Amino acid sequence: MTMHCDCARAEMLAGAIALGETDEAQRDSYRNHLATCAGCRNDLGGEREIERVMATARQARDSERWEPVLRPAHMRTPERRSTWRWAAALAAAAALIVGFRAIDKPTIGTAPASQASVSSAQVARAVAALNTQTAPRRENQAESLSFASTRSGTLTLALSLDARGMPKQCTVTKSSGNRVLDRAVCRAAIKTASSRQSASP
Amino acid sequence: MLGHNARRPAVDKLMEDAYPGAQASAIARARAESLVLEYQVKLARYLRRMVADAEVALDLTQDVFLSAFRMLQADPQRELTAGWLYRAATNAAISFLRRKKVLRMLPLDREVDRPSATLRTWGVDERSAASVDLQIALAHLPPQQSAALLLTSYVGYSSAEAAEILGTTSDAIRQRVCRAMRVLRATMSEEK
Repeated sequence: MTMHCDCARAEMLAGAIALGETDEAQRDSYRNHLATCAGCRNDLGGEREIERVMATARQARDSERWEPVLRPAHMRTPERRSTWRWAAALAAAAALIVGFRAIDKPTIGTAPASQASVSSAQVARAVAALNTQTAPRRENQAESLSFASTRSGTLTLALSLDARGMPKQCTVTKSSGNRVLDRAVCRAAIKTASSRQSASP
Repeated sequence: MLGHNARRPAVDKLMEDAYPGAQASAIARARAESLVLEYQVKLARYLRRMVADAEVALDLTQDVFLSAFRMLQADPQRELTAGWLYRAATNAAISFLRRKKVLRMLPLDREVDRPSATLRTWGVDERSAASVDLQIALAHLPPQQSAALLLTSYVGYSSAEAAEILGTTSDAIRQRVCRAMRVLRATMSEEK
């Protein structure tokens, strides 16, 4: 939509109406603009329409039931719910071995025993390397991969896949010496493999 | 609603992380604790809307508090307003979204096409149509517009207050709200 100068002003007026910050003169001015501008009429709607749309945000807020309780920093390992569906029947599994390296990333002076985090891109790349025939790889989300650990290390893990390529099980065959890190990398590997698998057709 | 007592252990541990060795002054500690008790739910909910991920929202909320605590440790009398917390939260969300974009190199709206698959990650209550509509709209918006819409209509700030938090003018906030509203409206009508 090309923005006429009046329309830019109408946007601000509509925003002000949405926030309940207008006086009668401003609302009149908005009505007058709508009367002459079909673009804004269709695009933004009248005051009642603005009210209807804005009510959504309020309803969303009022429907919140989430009562988060913060975790201390050294317990930051995300207990994420899986976002993929497990295959109902698991067929023959192929075990694959990958080495992961966790890199040290100091977090800002708060960690009691120093913290490290696993590079999500590395896990994603390593998992992608497992099976190159499946096309577009979905990069794993960074947010799932912030882990607490006491040091960096290398670990070896076996990732079992079912016939469809969905991850079935992850076993650490050689520990990095840190259980939290092991578990976190395993979880990341499973997540990356499964999201890649469900993203491919 | 969880009572304050149920939250206290988490607050204590968070404080320990912020002040290793418990060197914090009693004043700093008390102030930090009251900040957490008052704002952790509000900030986390705001951040969850911003980043569309409950776990990330928790982590970012914690980051905001940790930086607040460090400031209190340096100067226990320092004034820390709600506006300061929301500004820090907004910055944290925006820089997270930037990092995530670089990492994933996929537009967010790819997920929006299949909302049911992502509702759980978003942590949004799927029984509330308004909640889902809002989150889908937010996924289509630039973070600055999301922040303007949320700080005003969701958190409850006026455009002037939101402008101060986001470092801009009231008119800019109104314009962002208007543009965000346009997207939200499109989201709502698509479902009919």
